[in-house]
Amino acid sequence: MALPRTLITSFAALVLMAGHSAAQTYEGRELVRAELVADTSAVTPGKPFTVGLLLHMVPGWHTYWRFPGDAGIPTEIKWNLPAGWKAGEIQWPIPLKLDEPGDIQIYGYHDEVLLMQEMTPPASLNGSAVQLTADASWLVCEKICIPGSATVRMDLPVGSGAAANQQIFARFRKLLPQPWPSKGMTAKWTRAGPGARLVIEGDGLAKNGFVDFYPAPPPKVVVSHPVVENRDDKRITFRIPFDSADKNLASLNGVFVFGSSPDSPDRSGWAVPVSAPNAASSAAPTAQQGLITLFFFGFLGGLILNLMPCVLPVISLKIFGFVRQAGQTRSKILRSGLAFAAGIFAWFIALGLLLVGLKSAGHQITWAFQFTDPYFVFGMAVLVLVFALNMFGVFEVSLPQRATRGMLGLTDREGEAGSFVQGVFATLLATPCTAPYLGTALGFAFTQSGIVIMAMFMSIAAGMAFPYVLLAAQPAWLRFLPKPGPWMNHVRQVMGFLLLATLLFLLYVVGAQRGLEGLIWASAFLLVVSVACWIKGIFLVPTASLRSRSIAVIVILVMLLGGGAYFIGQKFRTSTASQLANSEPGGWQPFSPSLLQAELQQGHPVFVDFTAAWCLNCKFNEARVLENAVVRDAFQQHGVTKLKADWTSGDPVITKILQQFGRVGVPFYVLYPGNSAEPVVFPELLTKDLVLERLEGVSRRVASQ
Amino acid sequence: MKAYRAEWLLNNMITKTILTAVSSLVAVTLFAADSPPVGSNAPQFSLPDAKGKTQALADFKGKYVVLEWFNPQCPFVKKHYGSGNMQKLQQDFTGKGVVWLTIDSSAPGAEGNLTAEQAGAVVNSWKTHQTALLLDPEGKVGRAYGAKNTPHMFVINPEGKVVYEGAIDSKATPNPADIANSTNYVKVALDESMSGKPVSNPNTRPYGCSVKYQ
Repeated sequence: MALPRTLITSFAALVLMAGHSAAQTYEGRELVRAELVADTSAVTPGKPFTVGLLLHMVPGWHTYWRFPGDAGIPTEIKWNLPAGWKAGEIQWPIPLKLDEPGDIQIYGYHDEVLLMQEMTPPASLNGSAVQLTADASWLVCEKICIPGSATVRMDLPVGSGAAANQQIFARFRKLLPQPWPSKGMTAKWTRAGPGARLVIEGDGLAKNGFVDFYPAPPPKVVVSHPVVENRDDKRITFRIPFDSADKNLASLNGVFVFGSSPDSPDRSGWAVPVSAPNAASSAAPTAQQGLITLFFFGFLGGLILNLMPCVLPVISLKIFGFVRQAGQTRSKILRSGLAFAAGIFAWFIALGLLLVGLKSAGHQITWAFQFTDPYFVFGMAVLVLVFALNMFGVFEVSLPQRATRGMLGLTDREGEAGSFVQGVFATLLATPCTAPYLGTALGFAFTQSGIVIMAMFMSIAAGMAFPYVLLAAQPAWLRFLPKPGPWMNHVRQVMGFLLLATLLFLLYVVGAQRGLEGLIWASAFLLVVSVACWIKGIFLVPTASLRSRSIAVIVILVMLLGGGAYFIGQKFRTSTASQLANSEPGGWQPFSPSLLQAELQQGHPVFVDFTAAWCLNCKFNEARVLENAVVRDAFQQHGVTKLKADWTSGDPVITKILQQFGRVGVPFYVLYPGNSAEPVVFPELLTKDLVLERLEGVSRRVASQ
Repeated sequence: MKAYRAEWLLNNMITKTILTAVSSLVAVTLFAADSPPVGSNAPQFSLPDAKGKTQALADFKGKYVVLEWFNPQCPFVKKHYGSGNMQKLQQDFTGKGVVWLTIDSSAPGAEGNLTAEQAGAVVNSWKTHQTALLLDPEGKVGRAYGAKNTPHMFVINPEGKVVYEGAIDSKATPNPADIANSTNYVKVALDESMSGKPVSNPNTRPYGCSVKYQ
């Protein structure tokens, strides 16, 4: 009896294990056929098995993954199960990443997909067969999108089943993301800008022709396109830009996908752990090390700030203070040095708290952003000019004794308070210098937690204050400084020229933002300011009569207000930089998203230089590397289109693109290989070799396709 | 001595003024930047509408402006028009002085591309209530805004800043029956913004068909 029974069961299974299929038709054409399949021929009570919704799409059409990408919606399955049955989560095979015009990326399936779920029947089953029913709905798209839905059913006999539909289950099980390997491979998440950075490290990563991260974010998180920031044999860095209400969110569910090519059937994937405790503890030391290096550079940066042309003049006054104090008591010198240092710290603490406050209030903070505002740059220019005129002795006539008190005139009279204010003032003047110079380091710090931001500012403050604390603590070293004398006046004037050099730089930025016209009107106002300072120097002096002093004050006010209203309020406000000529020297073209798109569509590789007139690092990279003859030839040889994205005035379109790459400022360099491969991001400090190497890499990849 | 004191006072005053001016300058310009696209200046554009008239965003400065990406053949767009949901929203807010610009960025030959005449027919037969239906067949404006879906919604405040970007509502399905149980993010953003509050949910994941660019 046993044999026929098996036969009957098998026959029944053949008929029944594939359910009834349902089709979605559109204008007489079948787009999608849906059916249920099971990996067993019969249901054994209490024993889990797998059921899959099998969707056949007509060629060219696709349905969507659990995270559809920029458009579309995932397929949904709602089960109507008999009492006691349980269905597991949908197991999604690794999808294909599909590109559509307009920089639209979606994740979906072509041809055929099996969405599997584990089914657990109750421990006892009545009857000889069960029917499982589900309402499935999907969106299928080609050039157009059509929603589809079907009620799919399958009947399975109750009994001891044999494996069924092995081939199709094997095919799609191979495409399921695997758990993260327990050994030899690490995944580390860090918060970076709006989004996160994922670093995957391990041996054997090199052999994959293709690697990618497919995000599967929770519904409230808005994710843009992940990019490979860096890749070498053992390490891949992904940048995943996203926006979420939780500003501390630093990781996403998702799949690390790899294989010979994005659409090969041998593609595999691992589910990326979301900040697992293990990964976190092993990541901590390296992160800490990175931070310590960063703080060290902050300190060094602070130290060097003292020599910046906008700070040195203030600092020189402090040095004069020390020179004169050489004969004074040790404790007095120490107090004055510490007060100066406290002033430096006070400014940085205030700035740091303000930034952290704004950041926690959800603002996107950037450093150097102030430089995109022409009025800020111009304000700094006025301040620097006034200070320079003071240094030249145009006003506040310089008796040697008074000169040493500096611009604030407070030093002596109020002792430590004076030193403190000087410290604040020195740091205040340092602000325009920090932007071009420390922008990159601060830009990184801003993506970190509040504590890191504060610590970064503290290390800069410590670096800046270091020499004074040292001199104050060891007044004996003051004897290395020369004795007070007329030389101090000369140094002061030299400092004035340094300030004029700073002014030149600021005016260059103003010119870049507001054109030649704007530059001239701004300079006209600077002339007015100079004359006002001169009047102050001549007539607003203690020896002048009260009457002439009153007249002087009125004249100064009229000049400043009138000049300000006319030159700045009217002329400067309305002037704009002339449109960039269509081709800049050296074969650069002004950046626009549509131009980028057009060039890429023609298959040209594109290099984009994100730069600004006020960004010294950018200028350095351009002069040393990008305009280097060898590099220029290499660009030409590889047929790379060079675009220059000028962020001098904070163009919002460019800001948006910077943010897609998780950047808060310039410099930034990216190379689009032109074969729809991932863009290659360069480090902030370019080297000739690096650029040449990446250019070679692009041609190789293009050639191999 | 008195004169000397006066000069000292003046010096002191100038110093303090400069300090205050510069600190506020730093505070204002340095940190006023929000995360684009939400918080950034809305890119300027001008496009022809269904009647052939050119409409420029700059013409609506000082008003709230809603941008709605549109494709009359997309099932997600049909969900909101077939149910009358979109028309009602348009009517409610244009009634409150909001400018509502519906933009079709479908390329010629692609799904949803409209000639001016066809656009006029859609407006009539669907009884829509937007301020204007704009035609962007080259996709320039769509790309400038990074519009990826139909519908993809943007709310711009009277200062010209984007205050909302994302989905029309919270239920990402093509099923009109879901409208009743969903939160309309555009309505919430407009209500909040127009009563002077910050938008609680300024950036959501848009859903729908992809915009059919060239």
